[in-house]
Amino acid sequence: MSAITLSGADFLREHLRARLTLVLLVAIPALFVVASASVLGEFATALGGSVAGDSASALGAGWAAAFLAGALGFFQVSSSREADRRLALAGMGAARVAVARICASVALGVLISAVAFLTLLLSAGASHPAHTFVAILIFALTYIGIGTLVGSFISGALEGSLTVAFIFLIDAFSGPGMSDSSSIAQVMPTRVAADVLIDAGAGIGSPIGDWIAVGLIAFGALALAAAAFWFSARPRST
Amino acid sequence: MTGTEPILRAEGVEKSFHRGVPPRRRRIEVLKGAGLEVRRGELVGLVGENGSGKSTLMKIVVGLLERDAGAVERDGKLGYCPQTPLLWEKLTVDEHFELFARAYELEGDAAASASGSLLGELRFDRYRGYRIEELSGGTRQKLNLALALMHSPDLLLLDEPYSGFDWETYLRFWEMSERRRGEGMGILIVSHFLSERERLDRIYELRDGRCEEA
Repeated sequence: MSAITLSGADFLREHLRARLTLVLLVAIPALFVVASASVLGEFATALGGSVAGDSASALGAGWAAAFLAGALGFFQVSSSREADRRLALAGMGAARVAVARICASVALGVLISAVAFLTLLLSAGASHPAHTFVAILIFALTYIGIGTLVGSFISGALEGSLTVAFIFLIDAFSGPGMSDSSSIAQVMPTRVAADVLIDAGAGIGSPIGDWIAVGLIAFGALALAAAAFWFSARPRST
Repeated sequence: MTGTEPILRAEGVEKSFHRGVPPRRRRIEVLKGAGLEVRRGELVGLVGENGSGKSTLMKIVVGLLERDAGAVERDGKLGYCPQTPLLWEKLTVDEHFELFARAYELEGDAAASASGSLLGELRFDRYRGYRIEELSGGTRQKLNLALALMHSPDLLLLDEPYSGFDWETYLRFWEMSERRRGEGMGILIVSHFLSERERLDRIYELRDGRCEEA
């Protein structure tokens, strides 16, 4: 295996050794999918939306993946910034550190999405399993981009995690099915992925245009994350 | 084995920081033309009061911080031991050695030999399977130093490397440094104290943003 892959495995191992991360990896999908699906429907009704039933459960799995991925993306940057910079200086270079971090992030995203998908499968089932899993993964990858971007500008754990949670709340409660198509929903990053997930939950396939859009958004989010990791590992001016 | 050609030369280094938000935003000038030299086989000290800019100068020399003006020239392999151990809390001591061996491009046997020798020299080999979060401050500092030394650098930059060391380890640290100086390594040590004066070949004192040879 290459130095980048091995270093990425070390970064992944570091996250998975945190007991709280493992507990949240199980607890958050359970909360969003099992416990909150009906509440999500009531919230949607109150906000003027219409999501309910299996679509609400599927959307809950997407939000669980997004929430976890955003938080872990933030901490990947903020908690290891100085150590990553030292490793880059030792000869790894900022670009290779960034690629190793992206490998670890994508692996985390796949793991988070698998747990959220499995929770959904066990609690409500999935009419379109492949569509559902990919849409959940898009939620996770999008929020890895958001979390790392926040982490590259905000170093404080409290301020950074609150910022990620704030973006998450606006995104979740203004998204498709949750409100009456507010203008802010049109610019939120998970809007198309939410459309795909709601359709998959209802047993409907999504148009090819939506799949192209979510693919581009996920690619853009990972490019953003790579830039944030690179920026954090290079020499700074202040 | 002191060479005549500098392995590190910094000249006219300037650095200022902006702190606070308007209307209380201020510009703080830390370095105003600082310069120093280190030659092969030389043990050089950099001293100064708290806030004098020692760590800032060290970070600029290492390449972790950009300078506003001036020049820095380095030759050969660089080893850097930061003031605060910069490590990954959930990784073990051995995993840190492996991570840095990849960064230094040390192959299997060379990496194992380098880490094994440093673990023995600094006497913390029984902790090699421990995670950083399980280590005392002194043992973290030993690993911090060992990671800077494992590729046998030509130039070693140490920012208060012995904070947290007990007396025995402190003395061993100086033995290690003096032995490496004898082998031709150029070493720059940042310190608060002038008490190690007799161990050093030369001392720079950082005052008012400039280095003066003491």
